[in-house]
Amino acid sequence: MTSSRIHIAADSVCDLPAHIVESLKVHIIPTYVNIGGESIPDDGRSLDRERFFRELPGMRSLPTTAAPSPGDAETFYRTILDNGATRIISIHVPEKLSGTLNAMRLGAEAVGADRITLVDSLQLTFGIGYQVWAAAELAADGAELAAILDAIERVRQRTRVYAIIDTMEYLRRSGRVNALVASVGGLLKIKPIVDVSDGEVTSIARLRTWSRAEQRLQSLTQDQSPLERLAVLHVSNRAGAEKFLDSIRDIAPSDTLVIETTPTLGTHIGPGSIGVATLSRDWRR
Amino acid sequence: MTVASIGGQALKRLFRRGLESLSHDIELINRHNVFPVPDGDTGINMFHTLNRAYQEIEELETDDISVIAQRFAHGALMGARGNSGTILSQLLKGFADGLGESPILTASLLKSSCGAAVTQGYASVSQPTEGTILTVAREASESLSLRQAENASPRMMLTSLIRAAQASLENTPNLLPALKDAGVVDAGGMGLVSFLRGMPGGRARRRTNLPETGSSIPAAAEGAESFGYDVQFLMVGEGLDVARTRRELEALGWSVIVVGDQETIKVHIHADNPAIPLDYAVKTGAALDDVVVENMELQHRRQLSIDLNRQAQIDAVSSKVAVIAVAEGDGLHAVFRGLNCSILISGGAGRNPSTEDFINAIKRLASSCAIILPNDRNIVLAAQQAADLLADRQVEVIATETVLQGIGAMLAFGDATDSGAELEAVLERMSAASADIRSIEITQALRDSKFRDLSINQGDYIAIVDGMICAASTDTETAVLDAFSNFDIEDVELVTVYYGAGVSAVESEQLIRRIRTAVKGLECESIYGGQPLYPFLISVE
Repeated sequence: MTSSRIHIAADSVCDLPAHIVESLKVHIIPTYVNIGGESIPDDGRSLDRERFFRELPGMRSLPTTAAPSPGDAETFYRTILDNGATRIISIHVPEKLSGTLNAMRLGAEAVGADRITLVDSLQLTFGIGYQVWAAAELAADGAELAAILDAIERVRQRTRVYAIIDTMEYLRRSGRVNALVASVGGLLKIKPIVDVSDGEVTSIARLRTWSRAEQRLQSLTQDQSPLERLAVLHVSNRAGAEKFLDSIRDIAPSDTLVIETTPTLGTHIGPGSIGVATLSRDWRR
Repeated sequence: MTVASIGGQALKRLFRRGLESLSHDIELINRHNVFPVPDGDTGINMFHTLNRAYQEIEELETDDISVIAQRFAHGALMGARGNSGTILSQLLKGFADGLGESPILTASLLKSSCGAAVTQGYASVSQPTEGTILTVAREASESLSLRQAENASPRMMLTSLIRAAQASLENTPNLLPALKDAGVVDAGGMGLVSFLRGMPGGRARRRTNLPETGSSIPAAAEGAESFGYDVQFLMVGEGLDVARTRRELEALGWSVIVVGDQETIKVHIHADNPAIPLDYAVKTGAALDDVVVENMELQHRRQLSIDLNRQAQIDAVSSKVAVIAVAEGDGLHAVFRGLNCSILISGGAGRNPSTEDFINAIKRLASSCAIILPNDRNIVLAAQQAADLLADRQVEVIATETVLQGIGAMLAFGDATDSGAELEAVLERMSAASADIRSIEITQALRDSKFRDLSINQGDYIAIVDGMICAASTDTETAVLDAFSNFDIEDVELVTVYYGAGVSAVESEQLIRRIRTAVKGLECESIYGGQPLYPFLISVE
């Protein structure tokens, strides 16, 4: 059975919904959200996302997010290997933004680093998800390690992730991306469009109104057409995401997803924000 | 006795007396603004330009006229403030270049140098306007005939130059309708006439008269040797005689303003010796209160401070291009800083930074490229001159005419540098963004005036939309709402109100509520600007 030899693993920041995770047979390790004294795994069961985001603006102290522990990682890998995998490709949230990769590395060393290939996705949300998706499909077809890694690289090249930040308040409080916050400026109400690439989040446009920001997001999305995949992401703003999708319906693939992003990201971005993750068709060339 | 030529020290004395003359006319020239708004302090700008010029030659003992003229012109270039000051500095540079290396000034050389001055002056502005200082300089220069140059002395030539300049000045309202509407002559031209007519010394000075606008301003005392002090005080007593006090003080100084009643008189006077008007006031038996004495030159110099801020951090964000902006008000400074402006120069309406201020700012930058946002129509030329003088650096000026346009440009600056754009593309995006911003500026009228269909009373709030007076009212809210009738509301999305010094956040919010009620569906934002003179600066986009 060649198809089961290489297994694909990722963390929950990849935002792939449960039904896709299941059909792709990929393994997801949850990151954590700390609310008050409690550390809740983002496993799609323990935390009610909708309720979390509804309550976020009123929380006295901002929740923090945490990487899995090295112990979590070790158990995670051991379980996958025990189920018949000979090799794991493990794709994660960028090292520049999170301690997850470091924990995964320690976990991998404990179970045998030679059987686990760690990949820094240099991306967030579906930007990770598309790499996982392509890798899982190739692995299922029995592709070799090098071919899968090559595909991951090509997917990364043709992936774009953009978001409109509705309010800078959460990014400012989170302290994760101080350079971004400093570059956007403090006093004016600004709705920046951020871009995720090379494992960094940077502002690429400063718009003063939501409608102008939406127009810019439309044109940025259109620039990536023709699309193989599209996900419209939001933080507690499904209506805004649906409305945006309508505005770019002509270039959206029929299986476009509207996804509420993980609390691990949403905590930093803040409610109201919307975004897109695109994968252009030409990644296959 | 006719002297056929003038040497360097004689020219220095001419410049000195011209400068003194101008120093006495500062207030008068300032009042010749076309708009009754507190901007374009032409008198003070021209004075500072020439004062800086004179500093260059004050210690020079050479009798070589070309050295004196060149150093004077250099000082003027550095000290140039405001559009008239900048044009004046170019006239002086042209004059100095016209002298070549001649050590003495003859009548024919005076004629050719004046011609060179005019050529350079016209070349310094992209679209020369007639009815301004340029016209006065040109017509004065053209009055010098060749025949005269062969027979007359330089001093006689100077006399006819002054007469022609005076006539040209009086004709400026016929060339510029805006002047005629406002009932004034051109302020820059007036400054040039004041400078020229002071040169021959006492008698000639008294023979020529400057047109007056408001209250009368007496000529300076004979032989005045300094630029003076600004003296203000209250006289408190019983049975005080306002008219008599005014009459007697007018003999002791210039720019005299005396108002009050039998119990309190407020005095404002410029004098060479501040003790003299104070002594007079004490001797009337009145008690003095609130005495303020300021050295006029030092006062202005102190106000112009350059903020160096967060340079290290800024350079980390954008090491290639740095922005220098002019703004007044701590809130506006903070807005510019927040958008990664490297250097802020305090200044704006009525307080124009000089070419030298810009040069000093540029030299403090680590970046090889600098972009200047003058943020005022009257500061653009001085900024441009600084850029031209620093040939070894790449300095570009985006001719922003309001601070609001400057903020628009700064937002685009961030976007452009984030994307790693080259200077040319950065400039293009900043210019386009600033052009998208429309401005409503609210200020108080300095005097009664008529503008098109508007009757404006002193103290009225006037709304200036994109540089044009569009509304006037006794209250700010009405002026603002009237100004909105100039906009196609369909196209307006966002209104940002920067409230000035002396206005509270509550008042600003109240104004925004009125705007929202009048114009539905607008996004509005209120930000502390802290700017003087303008209670509200409102960007409409």
